Amino acid sequence: MTAPLLEVRDLAVRFATEHGPVQAVDDLTYRIEAGETFGIVGESGSGKTVSSLAVMGLLPSTATVSGSIRFRGEELVGADPEELRRLRGDRIAMVFQDALTALNPVMKVGLQVGEIIAAHHDTSAADRRQRVVELLDVVGIPNPERRAEQYPHEFSGGMRQRAMIAMAIANEPDLLIADEPTTALDVTVQAQVLEVFARIQERTDTAVTMITHDLGVIAGVADRVMVMYAGRDVEQGSVDEVFYAPRHPYTRGLLASLPRLDGGGGRLERIPGNPPSVVLPPGCAFSPRCGFAVAGRCDQEPPARREVAPGRSDRCLRVDEIGSVA
Amino acid sequence: MSEAPPRPEPGVVDAVDAVVGDLLPTAEAVPRTQWQLFRRRFVRHRAAMAGTAVLLLLLVACFGADWIAPAEKGKQDLLAEPAGPSWDHPFGVDQLGRDYLTEVLYAGQVSLRIGLAVAVISTVVGSILGALAGYAGGWVDSALMRLTDLFLVIPQIALLAIALKRFGSSPLVITLVLAALFWMGVARVVRSQVLVIKQREFVEAARAAGASDLRIVARHILPNCIGPITVNATLAVALAIVAESTLSFLGFGVQRPDTSWGNMLTDARGFVGTDLSFLIYSPGLMLLLVTLAINFIGDGLRDALDPQSTR
Repeated sequence: MTAPLLEVRDLAVRFATEHGPVQAVDDLTYRIEAGETFGIVGESGSGKTVSSLAVMGLLPSTATVSGSIRFRGEELVGADPEELRRLRGDRIAMVFQDALTALNPVMKVGLQVGEIIAAHHDTSAADRRQRVVELLDVVGIPNPERRAEQYPHEFSGGMRQRAMIAMAIANEPDLLIADEPTTALDVTVQAQVLEVFARIQERTDTAVTMITHDLGVIAGVADRVMVMYAGRDVEQGSVDEVFYAPRHPYTRGLLASLPRLDGGGGRLERIPGNPPSVVLPPGCAFSPRCGFAVAGRCDQEPPARREVAPGRSDRCLRVDEIGSVA
Repeated sequence: MSEAPPRPEPGVVDAVDAVVGDLLPTAEAVPRTQWQLFRRRFVRHRAAMAGTAVLLLLLVACFGADWIAPAEKGKQDLLAEPAGPSWDHPFGVDQLGRDYLTEVLYAGQVSLRIGLAVAVISTVVGSILGALAGYAGGWVDSALMRLTDLFLVIPQIALLAIALKRFGSSPLVITLVLAALFWMGVARVVRSQVLVIKQREFVEAARAAGASDLRIVARHILPNCIGPITVNATLAVALAIVAESTLSFLGFGVQRPDTSWGNMLTDARGFVGTDLSFLIYSPGLMLLLVTLAINFIGDGLRDALDPQSTR
């Protein structure tokens, strides 16, 4: 087996804050193969964005990163900043959630897309311009030549997100990290933007990490998925496995809380309580909210990740007792 | 952490423009660019337009003095009596029989040139230092800002007088010394702007795109500071012209045979209260006009560059 495109092992991220250290990500291990779409699902604060920023080497200086992040076999944790800068935007690119704030308001969109090329390749302005128009066309922006001359505020939300994607794929990266790329968009535009990702993956062998809290998006585009809770991965597997045979009680709770078209008219299921904010409970972080938790065990002993099959893992002490899908 | 609430729309006009732009990709209803919006707001600012007209007029008159001035520069007519304003000599004739309008125009060249040069140099230096301090942060920031404070607390007139005595009072030296005392304001403004802008998400996005620090500052951060920088630079022109006049008035500035509005005022000072009192009015009036015009332009630029402005 060849080395995976991205291999994250025992990643931990700790922030020094005024209120003491905060463990944003802990004991996180996952891998992404070339060309696949990897979904990361979780609530706000579950560490999905922080773990991706760690891959990009974009965490603020208050963060301490430990563990290992290997990209094409090369270690990124503790790597030379200039080395990381060369990877960013060229081999690993990122699409941000809110394209309005992630685009420079005083720079023409075409120039901005060209910037990422100029940051990595020594090309003439004319060549860049031509490439930019091509890229805008690829992501489905009509009239690319005219649009390239406009400013971000002249674009609608969906068009802006497309421009962001055009920027991210400009150097044909191996890995595209999309952080909630569709959250700020309405549903029809969301579908179009996801379509753009699919189209890009058909053209190139780009792997996509799709970070979202929207299970529907994951079900639609991802090959494999990782569910995160309180900075840890609680379950990993293929989309079918995780959606049809969830193992961890948290995943079950998430899936059960989705509205169903075929269900009765009853109230939606919900997971009681709130995710822990700063101070994690002892034992399993999910235990205070878990219907299967056993006092004296789940609230004492932190569960470890268990790989049940290649690419299929969970993190629950009672998973065998409670069986697969209920 | 990434689920920020949706941001409010930037403005109805923008939203409508964006929608129109999407629906009618080839329509004639081309959305206004920022430049067009800026120009429209500036043109509607009456005081700023008046200031621009006055400043342009003065620039053309002074730098076109070779063609416009009624007499030759410094030409003395020893037979002519000093006299107040007349049709032949709108600003009068001075004690040496020179046409005073001609003198004022040529002196304006020196004053304006010093003012513009000081503004350009101090703006460039201040912007670079301010951007460096704001972007780098940490000890670089502390060191540069303490340096700025140091320059701010120096008794400026005293330092200028000493420096000019030491290096001579050529217009070049005056320009450099004034610039050395003018960059602090710009540096502080730029630093505070950079501190705000470097937190914005597009800077993070640029970093994610692999842009180097230099590229981020030059291409993303400084262009977003252009408003305050422009306003500051404009006002620096007026301040520098006045500062040069002050120096010349005190005898440390531009030396004869070079003339500036400042040393014309010095020379005319002795005639106050005599028949030649009028000699002090025209250079003084020029200083007043230029300073006012530039300040009005600065006001107009500030309003026009402010995105919240509804003019």
